[in-house]
Amino acid sequence: MEFQNLMIIAISAIFINNFVLTRFLGICPYIGVSKNLDSAVGMGFAVVFVMTLASMATWLIDTFLLRPTSSNIFYIIFNAKEPPDLLYLKTIAFILVIASLVQFVEMVIQKMSPALYRSLGIYLPLITTNCAILGVTLLNLDNAYSFIESIVHGFAAGIGFTLALLLMAGIRERLELAPIPNAMRGIPIAFIMAGLMSIAFLGFSGLKIG
Amino acid sequence: MSLFKEFFKGFYDENPVFRLALGLCPALAVSNSVQNAVGMGAAATFVLLCSNFIVSLIRKGVPKKIRIPIYIVVIATFVTIVDLAMAGFAPDLHKSLGIFVPLIVVNCVILGRAEAFAGKNNVLYSLFDGLGMGIGFTLALTVVGVVRELLGDGKLWGIPIMGANFEPVLLFILPPGAFLTLGLFLGLFNWIDSRMKK
Amino acid sequence: MKEILKLGGILMLITAIAGGALSMVNSITKPKIELQKRLALERALLKALPTADSDAIIPVETNGQKYYKGYESPDTTGLVGYAFVAKGKGYSSEIETMVGIDTTGAITGTSILHQVETPGLGTKIEEVTYGEEKPWFQQQFMDRTWEELKLDKDGGDINSITGATISSRAVTSSIREGLKELENELGGFNN
Repeated sequence: MEFQNLMIIAISAIFINNFVLTRFLGICPYIGVSKNLDSAVGMGFAVVFVMTLASMATWLIDTFLLRPTSSNIFYIIFNAKEPPDLLYLKTIAFILVIASLVQFVEMVIQKMSPALYRSLGIYLPLITTNCAILGVTLLNLDNAYSFIESIVHGFAAGIGFTLALLLMAGIRERLELAPIPNAMRGIPIAFIMAGLMSIAFLGFSGLKIG
Repeated sequence: MSLFKEFFKGFYDENPVFRLALGLCPALAVSNSVQNAVGMGAAATFVLLCSNFIVSLIRKGVPKKIRIPIYIVVIATFVTIVDLAMAGFAPDLHKSLGIFVPLIVVNCVILGRAEAFAGKNNVLYSLFDGLGMGIGFTLALTVVGVVRELLGDGKLWGIPIMGANFEPVLLFILPPGAFLTLGLFLGLFNWIDSRMKK
Repeated sequence: MKEILKLGGILMLITAIAGGALSMVNSITKPKIELQKRLALERALLKALPTADSDAIIPVETNGQKYYKGYESPDTTGLVGYAFVAKGKGYSSEIETMVGIDTTGAITGTSILHQVETPGLGTKIEEVTYGEEKPWFQQQFMDRTWEELKLDKDGGDINSITGATISSRAVTSSIREGLKELENELGGFNN
């Protein structure tokens, strides 16, 4: 049952509510880094990695620092009368967590694997302002996901983003050679392609799961 | 450089959405109706104005190395204020904009202006820049919103105006319609631009 | 090392100022937000139980089930019916519907509390056609008991919304399931 539930979350994040094509999250890197396949692969992996970590970290922050429950750390430390409701600080807390996480991951990768750093390194700073990352953490909170569910959702959302990015990169490499009116070259035609892909992904909304 | 120029450049020459291709996520996501578009535009304009003001005010005291995190904290603060105020005073709008209100934090237009303009210019110029860019952003969202709501739902500002015989082209309020409309607008502005240069 | 400490300190200071400012704003807006939530709930309850007195709708909570009892007069006499919140997974959101029934189990009113469905499609669960006063989709539920709540696509006679079967089904079956549960809880309605 538990496993089935996780599968539903994963499939719906990848196909039915694809982050890029139906939720419109992470459009800037989607358009910006989809010019060739290699960089799309690098960006995709970096996003999957950071999204999974961010889902983990923000779930912990939300549960133990912000939410007014008896497991709130401030409540326990200060022995307050009632647990403080700090949920209004979620935006600022989450974005700081993501920014520090990205910085931290960058340092770790640089130390541990210079080869990986060379391929992912340049994409990491871009990720802080990728709205898909902050988006996934806010959606985890909105849907009241458990710790495991959040991680699965974060990971699957990253896979969904990568899928859309790779498809787009494959198409755009061919578009370079296609006869397109000058005014439509580059970003405009990328949007038209995204629209057509989005129509295809609409088909998944008929999937009956659960 | 004049105030006048700083104010109006955001309308067309440096329109954040159509010309600089920034802030595309909200331009796609909340342009399904004119009401949502204007609401989002107003919220983003407020944040842009306030963050430009504060950033240009503190720009001399901010250490270069950590300027980006500081800008983000400043922006996140104003976004939270907008979020809370909207939930308290305009709950319906707050509901229909959903997570795109807190996501104003990562709207590249706002961080972009802080980094490219407010961090280098004085308070007055930064205010005009913020207001102009904010209005330009709102205009872009509204234009896309008008097309999508009119074709996709036969309405403007929630009021039916296309008559009873009009069969709405549903595609336009669905996600694909957002991509197609914005793509065609970007192409149109490229075309106008190349025409004017000739 | 010293520089990192200094930079970290500055960042901490800025964050603390931001946090302080936000807690001030929060203390102003919090009562407003709670008021809005309460007003929305009250409006929905009155739509669901139009014959009940607005001061005499009492929340009841029994082993996991939560519902409301509506009375005719403010001194909580003359039971007119029950109300509860039905939740169902729609196309892009959880749809929450406030449902009111009379003592025989027939629906007296509904009102959507929360939905973020596709504008123009799923949102038609709340659409009011020109010249009407109430949303046509929900009007179909009026006076029905749970046995009669089935979409045309599932062999019943409730018209689903064109292009939004998922949203229509979410509303219809969540009400149906909720009513069944409530009937069990109350030990049957007086037919």
